[in-house]
Amino acid sequence: MRSSLLIVFLLLGLTGCAQTGLYKWGGYEQGLYSSYKDPTKIEGLRTALESHIKEMETTNQKVAPGLYAELGTLYLQSGLSEKAIAMYTKERDTWPESKGLMTAMIKNLERRLQAKQEVAK
Amino acid sequence: MKSAIVLASLLLAGCVAQPVKKDMSAFVAAAPRSILVVPVINKSLDVDAPNYVLATLPVPVAEKGYYVFPVNTTKYVLEQEGFYEGERVHQQPPSVLAKMFGADAVLYVIINRWDAQYALITTTVTVEFEYRLVNKDGAEIWAEQKKMVYQPQNNNSGGHPAAQLIAVLVNAAITRAAPNYMPLTQMANRDVFILGVNAIPDGPYRSKEKK
Repeated sequence: MRSSLLIVFLLLGLTGCAQTGLYKWGGYEQGLYSSYKDPTKIEGLRTALESHIKEMETTNQKVAPGLYAELGTLYLQSGLSEKAIAMYTKERDTWPESKGLMTAMIKNLERRLQAKQEVAK
Repeated sequence: MKSAIVLASLLLAGCVAQPVKKDMSAFVAAAPRSILVVPVINKSLDVDAPNYVLATLPVPVAEKGYYVFPVNTTKYVLEQEGFYEGERVHQQPPSVLAKMFGADAVLYVIINRWDAQYALITTTVTVEFEYRLVNKDGAEIWAEQKKMVYQPQNNNSGGHPAAQLIAVLVNAAITRAAPNYMPLTQMANRDVFILGVNAIPDGPYRSKEKK
């Protein structure tokens, strides 16, 4: 009786202050810092995000907020619009709070792609 | 039995914050789900500081249970709209920014200090930040500031005086070449968002996890 109570209290005490991590970040913070410090490191951030997201998806874990979109923007900045759209779509489907922004960005990119195709015709 | 209670209360006391707690009712009433972290204002002399600080903000806020808009994407979108400086972004009405991104609240951070002071043989690194969360209707719902100071520990007890002096000089040289701002910045953020007396309440993703 006494020892079980003690364990309950101990558990209560522990959960009261310990904040466990909600997400895995795959070196996002460090990669972002490095790419701001030295813009040639942006490639490293891109590959880090790519492999982290792949790992999360193959193990059925939720990708942390913003990571899909950040990778999408890196694609966009390298001129890879289709890949950017795919990432923005994943961000929107994973995080409903991002819906407004992601939808606006996707629509904008699709319009740009369409305009480009019409010029090419 | 008594010992269990004593032990439990000790444990609880370890987690309970000091009594001076700010009023969180505005925050609780606003109950934001998503937070837009906009580029940082820099009042220090280091031109790189705002980007470095920006990189440290999403993880602690998201771990607190909020959806955090991707900071680098936000920065890029704002630049496309012609806002290159934190100052210009902070001058916009919060309601306009919140609407533009579909955010419930906007987080503004100002760097007041980001410097290293060099004495003859020791270096003191200082960072100081101001944090402000504003609801999408423009009302401030939370504010905090934090200063962190780092001074390398110089062990002066025992050992040959000349050897000690060399160790101290090496220490100062390392800090001088690359002052260690990042751990200090991360500690400041952790204090302000997670551990401190006036840390923001748990967001929807963290409170859901508890159940």
